[in-house]
Amino acid sequence: MAKKKDIAIVGYGETPVVLRSGRSSYDLATEVLEQVLNQTGIDKSEIDGIAVSETMSETSNPFWAVFLAEHLGLQTSWTQINGLGGASTIAGIARAAAAIRDGQCRTVLVVASDAQSSYPATEQGGQRWEFQYPVGLRGPTGVFGALMQRYQHQYGLKYEALAKLAVTQRKHALLNPNATAKLKRPLTEQEYLDSKFVSTPLRVLDSVMVCDGANGVLVTSAENAKRLGLKKAVYPVGYGEISNYKVDDLLADITESGFTVAGPRALAQAELTPADIRMFQPYDDFLIAILLQLEQIGFCERGQGSDFILNTDFSFNGKLPLNTGGGQISAGQPGLAGGGLNLVEAVRQMFGDGGERQVDDPRNAMVTGIGVIPYGKNWSVSNVLILEQ
Amino acid sequence: MSEAKKIQRPLPRPDIYAKTQPFWEAANQGRFLLQYCQDSGKYQWFPRSGSVHSGKRNIEWREASGRGTVYSWTLSVAPWPGHEDRVPYICAYVELEEGVRVVANLFNVKPEEVRIGMPVKLFWERLSPEFNYPAFEPA
Repeated sequence: MAKKKDIAIVGYGETPVVLRSGRSSYDLATEVLEQVLNQTGIDKSEIDGIAVSETMSETSNPFWAVFLAEHLGLQTSWTQINGLGGASTIAGIARAAAAIRDGQCRTVLVVASDAQSSYPATEQGGQRWEFQYPVGLRGPTGVFGALMQRYQHQYGLKYEALAKLAVTQRKHALLNPNATAKLKRPLTEQEYLDSKFVSTPLRVLDSVMVCDGANGVLVTSAENAKRLGLKKAVYPVGYGEISNYKVDDLLADITESGFTVAGPRALAQAELTPADIRMFQPYDDFLIAILLQLEQIGFCERGQGSDFILNTDFSFNGKLPLNTGGGQISAGQPGLAGGGLNLVEAVRQMFGDGGERQVDDPRNAMVTGIGVIPYGKNWSVSNVLILEQ
Repeated sequence: MSEAKKIQRPLPRPDIYAKTQPFWEAANQGRFLLQYCQDSGKYQWFPRSGSVHSGKRNIEWREASGRGTVYSWTLSVAPWPGHEDRVPYICAYVELEEGVRVVANLFNVKPEEVRIGMPVKLFWERLSPEFNYPAFEPA
């Protein structure tokens, strides 16, 4: 598909990330809608579409999307739910763009909201009852521990590179008012290296802390944005998504993911190369996932992730600003709304609202999503979204 | 205050998402069955309702060798609920000669002795009066 700038993100909202807030996912999402309406100045009746991410806290509710829209007071001609885990939000943007182009709706709230730390999920079933839970492989930490072990075997893994990512993201979180208070203290590389193993060789500080929170963006056509008199806009110009990469290759390399396909696809559509990317806001459930994405999207060669990290300044004022809000690992993971956290940070930066951590010349951003843990494989869903001013 | 109720180690729930009863019946006889796709001539694991290779239902159960190698592994320090009494324990991805990968515990080996590529063979853990559960040990 050729590069287009006919669809725009014209507003965003985000609640603070809070551990055990006691608030519901409906309540959190309402705060996001209010921010979007205040920021854009539009009436809620302009919103005629909603794309919602599945949650952990509402796992058992098959009516979540429609109930949420009802709670928010939205009558919609297009209602959609994405069960792609942390890949759901940017997938929602891609689907909203298609629906707007098709004329099914004009203005879409893409929203994710989850109170996972207050109202934990029931389990996710399927084959896991028979072939994972009795073994005791803890997902996602056990699965990523095995992934790190295999990566280390194939390529070598420099833990000081992961430590650098942990410290860089923590510095960014300290500048983010919405980052969880639980993690608001400086971190050293040695603290990362000394942190306890959860599932070898994966440590506590490789991982996210599950919290509550919500985030979202408003998507409409560039033409409609003009009609509404909206001044700020960023444009989704490239997208790639793969679910169940190599599903029928039962011995597929677990260090290789769908990003090897989704990354190049998004870049080709945006007519960009990795060297053109101004800031990288990758999905970060674990630090190793950032390293793997850098390799598989093509910022560096396969197996060279550790050295690339050690040789690159990822600070907000560095060469390749990375997760400038702290990422999920240092800002806190708002449950399955985690997939929207780094997206909203990208939009915020591109709107020039980055405050103390503002990226200079925020002309574009790459945002990614990762979702769902399969059996004995890499992760299930990989997606990449490129935004331009 | 009374103590929180202890969660028991999860037991398999046969036949919930796919027909797996034949696997568990064979397991109790010490035989490890894999599904075999008659169209593609390939095995698959975990059990499914059809073939992951062909998308069709021409599958049958065949007994596997139980021989394989360690593809990757992790020492679980933080347990999955119900496994608190077992920590630390080894979870591995084992590749069988039949060309499938199995998520399983490793027994009779110390964590510092586990190596990727290490040959392993089937080890049946008696999980409950109803279930033999597949695990592996050094070959």
